[in-house]
Amino acid sequence: MGNQMRKVFQFFIIFSFGWISAQWEGESASVLASGRREVSLFTPFRMGLSNKSEISVNKFLLMPSISYKAEMAQFRGWKRAYRLQLTYPTMVMRWLQSPLGMKLGEPDKFALISPEFTIPQMASIYGELIGSKGTPWSGQLTLNVGVGIGMNGKELEKRATVDLPIIYPRLSVYYNGFLLKMGGEYWRQFKERWSYVMDYDMFVMPRGEGRYTFEHKGLMVWTKSERFRLLFGYKLIAGEYPFGAQAHLFPTLDLQFGW
Amino acid sequence: MLKRHKFKLLLFVGIALSSCDPLVNEFNDIEDAVMYRANSIIDASAKDTVKVMTWNIRFGVARLRFFGDGCGDRVILKKSEVYEGLEGLAEKIKQEDPDILLLQEVDVQSKKTGYIDQAQWLLDNTDFNYGAYGSMWESQIIPADGLGRVNTGNLILAKWRLTEAERYQLPLRGDQEGLTQYFYLRRNVLKATVAMPGKSFIAVNTHLTAFATDTTKQKHINGFKTILDGIVAEGQNFVAGGDLNEIPPNASKLDYCIEDQCEDESYHSSGKPKHKEGSFFGSEYTWLEPLYNKYSPAISLSEHSLHETDNYTHSPDNKLKLDRKLDYLWTNTAWLDGMTHQEATELSDHIPVSARWVIK
Repeated sequence: MGNQMRKVFQFFIIFSFGWISAQWEGESASVLASGRREVSLFTPFRMGLSNKSEISVNKFLLMPSISYKAEMAQFRGWKRAYRLQLTYPTMVMRWLQSPLGMKLGEPDKFALISPEFTIPQMASIYGELIGSKGTPWSGQLTLNVGVGIGMNGKELEKRATVDLPIIYPRLSVYYNGFLLKMGGEYWRQFKERWSYVMDYDMFVMPRGEGRYTFEHKGLMVWTKSERFRLLFGYKLIAGEYPFGAQAHLFPTLDLQFGW
Repeated sequence: MLKRHKFKLLLFVGIALSSCDPLVNEFNDIEDAVMYRANSIIDASAKDTVKVMTWNIRFGVARLRFFGDGCGDRVILKKSEVYEGLEGLAEKIKQEDPDILLLQEVDVQSKKTGYIDQAQWLLDNTDFNYGAYGSMWESQIIPADGLGRVNTGNLILAKWRLTEAERYQLPLRGDQEGLTQYFYLRRNVLKATVAMPGKSFIAVNTHLTAFATDTTKQKHINGFKTILDGIVAEGQNFVAGGDLNEIPPNASKLDYCIEDQCEDESYHSSGKPKHKEGSFFGSEYTWLEPLYNKYSPAISLSEHSLHETDNYTHSPDNKLKLDRKLDYLWTNTAWLDGMTHQEATELSDHIPVSARWVIK
């Protein structure tokens, strides 16, 4: 029974990436071709616009976010882009106080934030610069750096953090007011349908009890066609939380669709 | 080239399939305890008589209105509140100055108490030198009520070195469905050898189920007694104790459902649950008889009968009127001066019990 429960919860954690990874996921400086649309289990819905830009929206409606990404002029062989994102987390954080609508002690199953805390109206804005060099066949390197700023109607109680990997660094901006994120990605295609991605991100969370998180992802990518891709691999997370430092390793799986 | 790519593929698959840290520590039947040591060691010489005390310290939150064991609405407490509670406990401990202290509900890494390692804090703020800890609830996340990460359990503190400290798993509650049981408490008995110079002895600490509605509590009492029997069979002497969550066989009151009910609860009326979990002892008040029949309690049954209210050790939530005895000290030899410290009522929802034990 223990193994079964562990798998259920791991499933919950892995698939929770779906709403939480919608924020600030690393990607190349390229934008989608005009009119092309892409969506996957764990990334937002994206659509290419006509002026070398794209727009994306989170498909998880309890955490609405919208981002705009636009290409910039090349610099010394580096393709460049910027991205701006606006996120409204209040609904999902209130939902996390009672996902099944139960009261404290009933028990309030699956509540990750105590209902004793008031979640104020909040939003965050995130700006990011992205640079990419190379091609998929020769190997494409992408570097990014961004800053997030939290805008809270009232101060959010710091005891109300969710001290779990993936979630803790991505919500930190609402507790601390500021987030610095930087990372890189290496993408290489080695067969007609196969490529791999090595990805690295670092979250710096000044004023937080957990001050940093490192995330590394390794993915194999199988591209069936322009319409479908399968990604699988692992995600390694090492970070500091209010209780101390801890590392986690998760298997990951994603299905991407485009049209 | 192809071989290199195959190797990369195998590496990816291997890493992806490797196991993650378990969310919940399910514990083996017998495990080594987690050992603690005070920052500064105070020399302790051998004694002819040692003072032993047991205390459920309610994770250092005194009588604050925590939701989980009463009618409160607090879940994640402030660090300042926890330190204030711990300071009250440390002051009382220093005042009583026991040589062996059996503590229950000690948080060592719980979100609800600001992740303060209370075992280390108590060691560093009292006159004890060594500690042995056995967790009864260790999970990276409790997915209910916003509790978050939890690590809480039993702690033996001693002035002398502790050796061979082991945690013995007790049966899980039999009246819960799988998901709840997986994330629920795992009760245990903690046993350690106290290496007092010239004469070592065994200290045993436990905290038995409070809310089981089936025979789990009886199994826990039997499990506790089996460990004590094993110590005696090996020719050793023990001091044992803890929060047994059970009333004595001669208790005058068996039903606390009405006293314990919260504002939105109702018991003993039609259409409602008949009894509140953990508040009705009518079907189980004889379960401690085997312990009373075989071993010596710090507070005898006759003493309890004569001065029952003076020996109450518990009242739930922020109610300061003590109304039942749940906490005990036992030995296979004899106690002197058993005491129930009701003056400590505001420091926890349980009262410490102490006694002197003559070394044999």
